[in-house]
Amino acid sequence: MVIRVDRLGFAYTPDRFAVRNLEFEVGRGEVFGLLGRNGAGKTTTVRLLTTLLPPTEGTAYLWGKELRACGRAERARMGVVLQSESLDFVTVERNLTLYAFLWGVPREAAKSRAEEMLALFELDGVRDRKPWALSGGERRRFQVARELMHEMELLFLDEPTVGLDALTRQRILGYLAARARDGLSIVFTTHLLQEADQLCHRIGVMQDGRLRAHGPPAEIKRRYRGARSVEAEFERPLTPSEVAELRSTLEREGRELRLVTLELGTLVFQAANAEDLVATLARWAHARGVDLERISVREATLEEAFVTLVSEEAPSPPVGAGAGR
Amino acid sequence: MTLPPVVRLVARNFVANLDPITLLVMFGQPAFLIVILGTMFDQLIPSVGASGSYVAFLVPGMIASQMITGAVLAGRIFWLDRRWSMVEQLFSGPFERAEYLAALLVTALLFSLVGVGIMVLVALPLIGVPGLSAAEILVVLATIGLGSLFFGGILIALGSRIRSANLYFTIQSVLQYFLIFISTVYYPVSAKTPEALRIIVYGNPLTYAANTVRDAFTHSFGPGDLVAGAILSALAVVAFALAVLGFRRLELGPVQ
Repeated sequence: MVIRVDRLGFAYTPDRFAVRNLEFEVGRGEVFGLLGRNGAGKTTTVRLLTTLLPPTEGTAYLWGKELRACGRAERARMGVVLQSESLDFVTVERNLTLYAFLWGVPREAAKSRAEEMLALFELDGVRDRKPWALSGGERRRFQVARELMHEMELLFLDEPTVGLDALTRQRILGYLAARARDGLSIVFTTHLLQEADQLCHRIGVMQDGRLRAHGPPAEIKRRYRGARSVEAEFERPLTPSEVAELRSTLEREGRELRLVTLELGTLVFQAANAEDLVATLARWAHARGVDLERISVREATLEEAFVTLVSEEAPSPPVGAGAGR
Repeated sequence: MTLPPVVRLVARNFVANLDPITLLVMFGQPAFLIVILGTMFDQLIPSVGASGSYVAFLVPGMIASQMITGAVLAGRIFWLDRRWSMVEQLFSGPFERAEYLAALLVTALLFSLVGVGIMVLVALPLIGVPGLSAAEILVVLATIGLGSLFFGGILIALGSRIRSANLYFTIQSVLQYFLIFISTVYYPVSAKTPEALRIIVYGNPLTYAANTVRDAFTHSFGPGDLVAGAILSALAVVAFALAVLGFRRLELGPVQ
């Protein structure tokens, strides 16, 4: 196991925790995604695991070594792309080779690696510019490219794709996936749930400094959103009594049913037995003489699972709210 | 073969932070002062103590002031590294905090010594080759070294506590000018100097350094220089301890 996190926590003051009671593991060649809203504790977790912050409770193990005992030897095996941009006041190309020099990469290897990174991250055309003169996306690409100048076994990426266009994001994710297949372990924080779904073998969803759930994306989706999402559009807005009746009919039969919205003639819900409920829905509409304009069933997205998870404590929107408007 | 971490960091400090404009300002200004101030005041001031001419008095003082130039550069590198998150980036890599601090202090020392060399070269046409013995050269270098450690340590300790660039650079500028002007770099302290000013001047470590370097140039070492060396050593140890303390408590994260 590359990382084993055991009830890890960090508190600024005894009653002000940034993260608390974290538990997860990351294996060799595994991509672990940390998801969460702003302030959920993702960056603090990265800073703890990269030894930038000392834990105030619990611990973690990097390659079996207790976090507080980890130092240069462990950090030399990892790469870190922090959320905040870091740079030296030299050109992009010089930044890459200088960073490689700091990591003890031989000069010739550094030069060829720099060429590879400049091409891969499309920085060739700006190699002679100073990093602060780059666009936001270019600066982010530069951050990732620079970190990949040295060899590593574990890579921390704190929101590496912020500000990148879809094409570049796909190329970088593809590269990271290939590196993971070669054995690189990656801890990856992001707001973009679609890319976590695409890249990560397992994800952890953080909220208020705690890990609310973790597991493979498919499992998270199934567990927290039901297997299917159904959207049905009626020919007209339903009356309040129809809404109440439909709601009780669906709830009687629905396993893990979660109604998202039912207003202005549109119904959206997620359920483990969505297909069964579609039949119930159709029967109910037929019996009430309400035509269904459109009905669709699709896989729940990780984003839907995420929203469900982080808003679980908040009351669900009342079914039928706004019905008949 | 991989170079030791401190050496890699020092090399990086020089490569990444020394642009021609910075070099011109940091070394050009004192060199300019030696030439202009030395030449102009030489006409007004017939002789200054054992130094003889004013320019011969000024040059050792400007050499001593290079310890502040090196310290200011180290403080600037540290602050910019904090501002641009390079401190965090380096600490998350194969470097220890102590190595980064050591690299800053070595950078301050080396930069001060380069400054000393430049000041000597600039002064050559004005005062000729200073005929210093090996011991005198060693004393000058040791004084510059201790002074760099003292001022570098103070600025790094300050930089580790302050989270605002404006505040840091304002304090650094005020400190720099205060220390240089309230010292014996530009003018001697004599019995005619107001007592309050004399106390302040002798409370300034740069005074001890300037006097020691000056005594080396005039081959007039005395017991006062031993006391000055002891005071400077003690202050350097205190400043180093403050810098270490600052680093131990250094809060990483955004600064303005």
